[in-house]
Amino acid sequence: MNANTEDRDGLRAFAETARHAIAACQKLTLRERAARLAADGLLGILAAEEAGGLGLDAGFAVPAMEAAGAGLLGFPLLETLLLAAALGQDPSANTIVFGEKIATIAWSGTADHTGGVLHGTVGRAPLAREADLVLVATANGAALVALDGPGVTVTHAIGLDIDAPECEITLDGAAPVATIGPEALAHLREEALVLWAAAIQGSADACLALAVEHTGTREQFGRQLVTFQVLRHALARQKLAVEHIRATLTRYAALAAAGAPEARLARHTAFAVATRFGAAAVESALQLHGGMGFTWDLPLHRHLRRIRAWEAQGDNVGLHRGLASDLLRANA
Amino acid sequence: MSTETNTLPPGLEGEAYRAHVRSWLATNVPAGFLADRPGHRTPGLEDCRAWEAAMHRGGLAGITWPVEYGGHGLSLREHLIANQEIGRLALPESVNSLGKELAGPIILAIGTEEQKQRYLRPLLEMREIWCQGFSEPNAGSDLAGLRTRAVRDGAIWRVTGRKIWTSGSPNARRCLLLARTGPLEDRHKGLALFAMSMDLPGVSVHPIRQLDGKDSFAEVLMDNVEIPAEDALGSPDEGWGSAVRVLSIERATNRMYRAWRFENELAHLVQACRADATLNRALESGLWHRRLAETVVDIELIKAHVEPVVEALVQGEAIGDRGSLMKLHWSEAHQRFAALALELLEQAPPGAAPEVAAARQRFNDIYMRGRAETIYAGTTEIQLGIIGDRILKLPRGR
Ligand SMILES: Cc1cc2nc3c(=O)[nH]c(=O)nc-3n(C[C@H](O)[C@H](O)[C@H](O)COP(=O)(O)OP(=O)(O)OC[C@H]3O[C@@H](n4cnc5c(N)ncnc54)[C@H](O)[C@@H]3O)c2cc1C
Repeated sequence: MNANTEDRDGLRAFAETARHAIAACQKLTLRERAARLAADGLLGILAAEEAGGLGLDAGFAVPAMEAAGAGLLGFPLLETLLLAAALGQDPSANTIVFGEKIATIAWSGTADHTGGVLHGTVGRAPLAREADLVLVATANGAALVALDGPGVTVTHAIGLDIDAPECEITLDGAAPVATIGPEALAHLREEALVLWAAAIQGSADACLALAVEHTGTREQFGRQLVTFQVLRHALARQKLAVEHIRATLTRYAALAAAGAPEARLARHTAFAVATRFGAAAVESALQLHGGMGFTWDLPLHRHLRRIRAWEAQGDNVGLHRGLASDLLRANA
Repeated sequence: MSTETNTLPPGLEGEAYRAHVRSWLATNVPAGFLADRPGHRTPGLEDCRAWEAAMHRGGLAGITWPVEYGGHGLSLREHLIANQEIGRLALPESVNSLGKELAGPIILAIGTEEQKQRYLRPLLEMREIWCQGFSEPNAGSDLAGLRTRAVRDGAIWRVTGRKIWTSGSPNARRCLLLARTGPLEDRHKGLALFAMSMDLPGVSVHPIRQLDGKDSFAEVLMDNVEIPAEDALGSPDEGWGSAVRVLSIERATNRMYRAWRFENELAHLVQACRADATLNRALESGLWHRRLAETVVDIELIKAHVEPVVEALVQGEAIGDRGSLMKLHWSEAHQRFAALALELLEQAPPGAAPEVAAARQRFNDIYMRGRAETIYAGTTEIQLGIIGDRILKLPRGR
């Protein structure tokens, strides 16, 4: 099923449900969040129907991811959505969709998978210290590992995100509970780009709203700050950033729905635009708060932290390297 | 009074139309026209005039206009398709884009039946080149401060004033002129739009040399010019609304081929580097990869803004202020790219291949002419103001 115009109402309903659920999550523990999001059907948007999911395409997860970005959701929602879909009819998919098990993904590093066991260190796994399962890349696909099993050590990694802190995982003879093939892993990584872009859009839009609010209420030099043109222009550029991300996501959805070959480039564009313009927008929103912007209590730094974490998880540098080599190859 | 024959096969739409455009361009582009091919010569005005008239006959101009005015009666989707295909080739810019893309649409929107009959076909057939007389020495960004005065006098309007930066006016037969019919204090009210003939007594054109050494724009003086009343477009106080419409077209849909031409420029840059050992080696350096990749992204982002606008317009929506978002991006992205092209090609050693020399010529021009892109059609600062005021609706203070 594709996210075409007929489904607009459906998308709007998803967005509404997601916003409510994510707002409610703020006061809950991670386990309770899993249960709450599952109860609202948000964890299985992409999962197969046989696994208790809705079997929809990534376009339908965009509103939920936007809401997750805007609401600073501390839950591996993107990982859950993609993993539940990638696992197909494996029994573990079911437990993830129903929020019984919390799953995450180690976005960087590759483990050695020989003789039925895994060895090596992988990283950039959000919330792995509290999760039950982690997907780890291997030479030929990826393996799902129980985080409380033997041969698994999880350590806190140096990272920016405080709402979904990144962890490193050392594997020393751990046995996988399930595996997925290289195509499924590649597909998952590709779809992740769209979902990160959506989350960044939500974040940037939320920060813009904060900056509009702050500059509209704070007075200096006897005027509301927002009446200074230089600040209006900064806000306009933040708006431009949000609209850039929205436009690329919309174009991606249309091309994907049409099964067009350009969809891949459109997906990479959405991620590249989201990281480039989204991060700049949030930095600018922070700047417009002055000293207030530098405080722990204001959520601006949390948005900025996660955008930078997502940028790394999605390998923005490698993505740009790929775009350049595609260009050079096309004009060899 | 059709003097031309239409060679567009009837009933073509969508991809069938694209196939027609492709094969038409493949057989009809004159030798030397393409800036990324060997033997390129910058075509002169008459060459461009003949070429654009042929494009119209072939169904590549006036695409969406009604058949009775010389158009081809297709949708904006076909307009986009033609622009994509035109963009893929390094063709010269239209010498009558103001006529075809700004004057035409506004005449179709507010002109009388008789005016549509009178202006549209000559424009498509390239017998009449148009210019746009909005800006004045004291009314640039603050367009509503314009002073050129139009006073009704029986069957004519008497017009006196000065326009400046009027692109293409040295070759133009008609001017889409914005003039004041009411008092200056009325600002946005009391402005009227005219289709002024440039041949009328009292009209004089004084070319201004541009930074690229060309005399493309000029100062247009009007000294007691008698414009026949039938050349007034819309009602005398509709001028501002119409002008805003012209500007929104200029920002959003004018030169819709931009993203695809930009892609052609990027491919040309890489291919030119391939022709020289030093530049080819430079391409292997990661230093350039990030910027080349960001250029690809910038181009895709233009497409992401253009394609939905076409669909929205096909669905009957107005362009509104989204043109400001698009214009900001394409103008700045193109300038970023031009700077990259310049820096990359500057590494060519002396005596580099002719392909490199040709590319340097093209990209030097693009870089210098690109300065105008953040100035015309409303400067960057004005677009940011529009986004703040009209899209974000920021409070203006007490
Ligand atoms: C190549 C070229 C072709 C052109 N062709 C045409 C044409 O065919 N027809 C036509 O009518 N016009 C044409 N123009 C004119 C163009 O529309 C004007 O130059 C433009 O609107 C800016 O006006 P200005 O030159 O008076 O600059 P100004 O308005 O004097 O602006 C000077 C600087 O001040 C900034 N500025 C002005 N007001 C504000 C403000 N309120 N807040 C912040 N910054 C501000 C501007 O952004 C700019 O950077 C052309 C211009 C160029 C460069």
